Amino acid sequence: MSFRRKLLIFFALTAFLSVATVTWFVISVTRKSFEQINNDQAAALVAQFRREFDRKGEDIARRVQAAASTETATRIALALGRGTPDYRKFIHDAHDLAENQQLDFLEIIDAEGTILSSAQSPARFGYKDTFLPASLGVTQPILRQEELPSGSVLALEVIRSVDNGEKPLFMIGGGPVDSKFLASLDVPTDMSAALYQNSSKEFSPALLVARSGNFPTAEKISGLVDRARGAHQNASVALEGNQIWHAIPLDGADGSIPAILLIGSSRQPYLELRQHITSVAVLAATAGVILAILFSSLIARSVTRPIEQLEAAAREVSLGNWHTQVPVTSSDELGALAESFNQMTSELLSQRDRLIQAERVAAWRELARRLAHELKNPLFPLQLTVENLLRAKQRSPQEFEEVFAESSTTLLAEVSNLKNIISRFGEFSRMPQPNFQLLDVNNLMREVARLFQAQFAERGEVQCEMKLDDSVPQIAADPDLLHRALANLVLNAIDAMPSGGRLRLTTQKQAGGVQLEISDSGTGLTSEERDRLFTPYYTSKAHGTGLGLAIVQSIVSDHQGKIEVQSQPGRGSTFQIELPANLDKLQPEPARHSATTPG
Amino acid sequence: MRRIGLALLVMAVSPAWTHSANAAVRPRYGGTLRVAIQAAPLSIDPNDSVQANSVSLPSVSRLIFETLVVIDEHGEPQPWLASSWQAEPGNQRWQFSIPRGVTFSDGSPLTPDTVAASLRSANPKWKIFPAADAVMIECEVADPFLPAELAQTRYGIAKRDQPLRGTGPFAIKEWSPGKKLILIARDDYWSGRAFVDSVEIELGKAARDQMIALDVGKLDLSEVSPETASVANDRHIERSLPVQWVGLVFAPAEARLREALGLSIDRATINNVLLRGSGEVTGSFLPEWMSGYSFLFPVSRNLDRARQLTSETRASGAWSLSFDSSDPLLRLIAERIVLNAKDAGLSLQLSNASSADITLVRLMPASTEPHIALGNLLARLGFPAPTFENASPSALYAAEKAALESQRVLPLFHLRSTVALGAALRDLQQTDSGVWRLDNVWLWAGTP
Repeated sequence: MSFRRKLLIFFALTAFLSVATVTWFVISVTRKSFEQINNDQAAALVAQFRREFDRKGEDIARRVQAAASTETATRIALALGRGTPDYRKFIHDAHDLAENQQLDFLEIIDAEGTILSSAQSPARFGYKDTFLPASLGVTQPILRQEELPSGSVLALEVIRSVDNGEKPLFMIGGGPVDSKFLASLDVPTDMSAALYQNSSKEFSPALLVARSGNFPTAEKISGLVDRARGAHQNASVALEGNQIWHAIPLDGADGSIPAILLIGSSRQPYLELRQHITSVAVLAATAGVILAILFSSLIARSVTRPIEQLEAAAREVSLGNWHTQVPVTSSDELGALAESFNQMTSELLSQRDRLIQAERVAAWRELARRLAHELKNPLFPLQLTVENLLRAKQRSPQEFEEVFAESSTTLLAEVSNLKNIISRFGEFSRMPQPNFQLLDVNNLMREVARLFQAQFAERGEVQCEMKLDDSVPQIAADPDLLHRALANLVLNAIDAMPSGGRLRLTTQKQAGGVQLEISDSGTGLTSEERDRLFTPYYTSKAHGTGLGLAIVQSIVSDHQGKIEVQSQPGRGSTFQIELPANLDKLQPEPARHSATTPG
Repeated sequence: MRRIGLALLVMAVSPAWTHSANAAVRPRYGGTLRVAIQAAPLSIDPNDSVQANSVSLPSVSRLIFETLVVIDEHGEPQPWLASSWQAEPGNQRWQFSIPRGVTFSDGSPLTPDTVAASLRSANPKWKIFPAADAVMIECEVADPFLPAELAQTRYGIAKRDQPLRGTGPFAIKEWSPGKKLILIARDDYWSGRAFVDSVEIELGKAARDQMIALDVGKLDLSEVSPETASVANDRHIERSLPVQWVGLVFAPAEARLREALGLSIDRATINNVLLRGSGEVTGSFLPEWMSGYSFLFPVSRNLDRARQLTSETRASGAWSLSFDSSDPLLRLIAERIVLNAKDAGLSLQLSNASSADITLVRLMPASTEPHIALGNLLARLGFPAPTFENASPSALYAAEKAALESQRVLPLFHLRSTVALGAALRDLQQTDSGVWRLDNVWLWAGTP
């Protein structure tokens, strides 16, 4: 993956993750805020309920007190003091008092809790009100279950005593806490309020009092109601349909829970807000990613262009184009890098020139040394021969003639030797360019081995082994030059084994070409000899010109091949030549093919 | 004139019919009698079944419609529109003589044909044949009490051509169903014109509102219910004999639980407190004053026994107890019964359903003649019509005992009918069954 693509992905991911993180954070904060608002609203509604509860309680207390202060109450109290009550005389008093004081419920009760008269249930006279004894001292409004002929209802009631008689007399008056009561609460539009009348152990939807109409989720809050009254503490639950319900147990005078206030709030605004935020976040993320891709593309291009130019320049340098330079477009690190690169290539060029020059000088010196060495050997016999001729001339003409004939042969031989030396130097300088043809390297190996068959026998115990790979393909090469190179290597190998040894010729298929290997078990080479082995005019032999391996390397190089040597002193040497197929260098077939085409 | 004389004679010998306010003052003609009742009928046809359980409606009905026979203070049938009657042997076929000279409010004469048509409408089972001056009635079975039966309000003679017309002392002037009825006195009434010129009857008025209207002088006569009895104490009150039957009717249920319920109900307390003593505790269909043997069906509360019966029987849930929700008195009694039953471990639930387990009913006997009254009550309670071999009390007792032993009903009370009189109202007479004789009242014009 390119650096630019990595940069693009990095920027896009950064933008996406940034938006996602911000969105998550906003949603999280929104949820907490909503829950806080929801709790605050629920608390406000509870407070409002309690205020309304107190306000109505005060109103009821005033009315009940007024009823307790009437002549009727005094009459009943006095009658009660005179003995066993005559219920006939009181039976409708509670009803009349309740009607006058606009109370829905009113009961007149003696100290034992016996109902003397009841407005809401006239038939209950004479029965005990078990609720009274526990609440006698309570002056505050009380929430309790009121037994009516049709069943129990939730009631807000107040107890007041009538103190005019000899025996205590109490009045319990109040009104129902019903849908009308709930309707008096100022409930926000997205909230609901209901009461659960806790008069049965088992949850019953019939005991739910809603502000209006039915309670649509009655069955769903049964668990909430059970939890609240079981633990005697507030509880909450989130229902399907995006509602949160809070259950607040309402305490009675005796520690019981006569009712549970239920406050529901819709999560719809929160969900809509969250949906909105999510939509905006998706849009922002999409836009961010697109913009990130665009901007990061521009940035990446500006960042990577110098790097790409450097990479291209480095590739050029690796291919040998040391003149490559990159433009310096900025003054930052990349600009410094480009300048350094340019300086590096300039320095490389300079050093190469110096190296070439140094090598050239060294080559000339070596050439001079070799020439001096090569030419000194024939010159010395020439000098001796000429001096013999001069001495013979001075001694006697007869002797001169004999010496002259003998010296002339020597002189001619040495001159011939000099010509031969000069010819080899000239030959090296005139190395031809390869003439590429399809070539079977195995056949070539066999021909070279056959050529030196006689010398193998002369040198005694040189055993030639051939390990030729039949699967090697034909390659394009100059058969004469390659034959010459291989012959040089074989000749060197024979020279390295004066006492005999083992010569192994190997071919092997290689990816895109072939590998040829000439291995001997001769004296081997030192590391210094290995390093200078292919240097022209360098030789480790007494009578070599030092051009053989230089010619071999030149031929291999002209075939775009590579030659390496592995050798240690006393362990022989192995020359490996790798040659490419070079099929693209084949000359096209002459037009004779088309001439033979029918037609 | 013979009939008028007979009627006057009946009234003269009956203490119950002569509650004269001031006998020394001479009655005067004129004025409008203002009456209010709680019932709000949509029809004033005497044949309408709504009238059966009301005291007030028969009182109003008889101002317009008259019967062939009336029952006197001894419970004996007496001629009224019919001048006489006689039965053929076997008491299955009867002949009632229709006199001449009686007219309907539109002036048309009362004839055997109109009588036959009216009676056929009241009882399609009878075969009725008009004759020259008589009407022949042939019953399905022998009926020795047919004359007394014809004294029931439902057999009031009416011409049912719209508007309804009767032979009574008043004619209909204005009729707003369920709201108001205005009657005017007929000058041509065959038995002599009524003293008041007209009667205005307000329908569907609550008892407390009636009492208030009476106090402010807007009424001359109001009903008194037990809940208004306390405020009516200082007024002129007239009470009937206890005639209305109040009891429980059971759907099929466990007999021992029914017995437990009967033993749990504190009838005496209900009567004393809720009914203000206006009734009589009873264990029978017919009141003591009518049958003479009601004491033979004792009633007493035995809560321990009731609890024992309840504990011995596995009750299957709560019983539903229904009643006429428009009747506040029945509501009170029903609520108390629920509480009493709870004391015995029985669970009753008040209900408005028509198919309740138990129904609390209040029935007005159609007649003060005991055989007719019992037969009528039993028929309305779903019992088969009793057959009486003769008119003896033992036959009556046997029929009533058989019905009670079926345990399908539980008698509770016999209630009196009570009215409060305005200061100007004079000479209000009331039959034993509580029916007012408004045709004879007059209004005093002086300062009360």
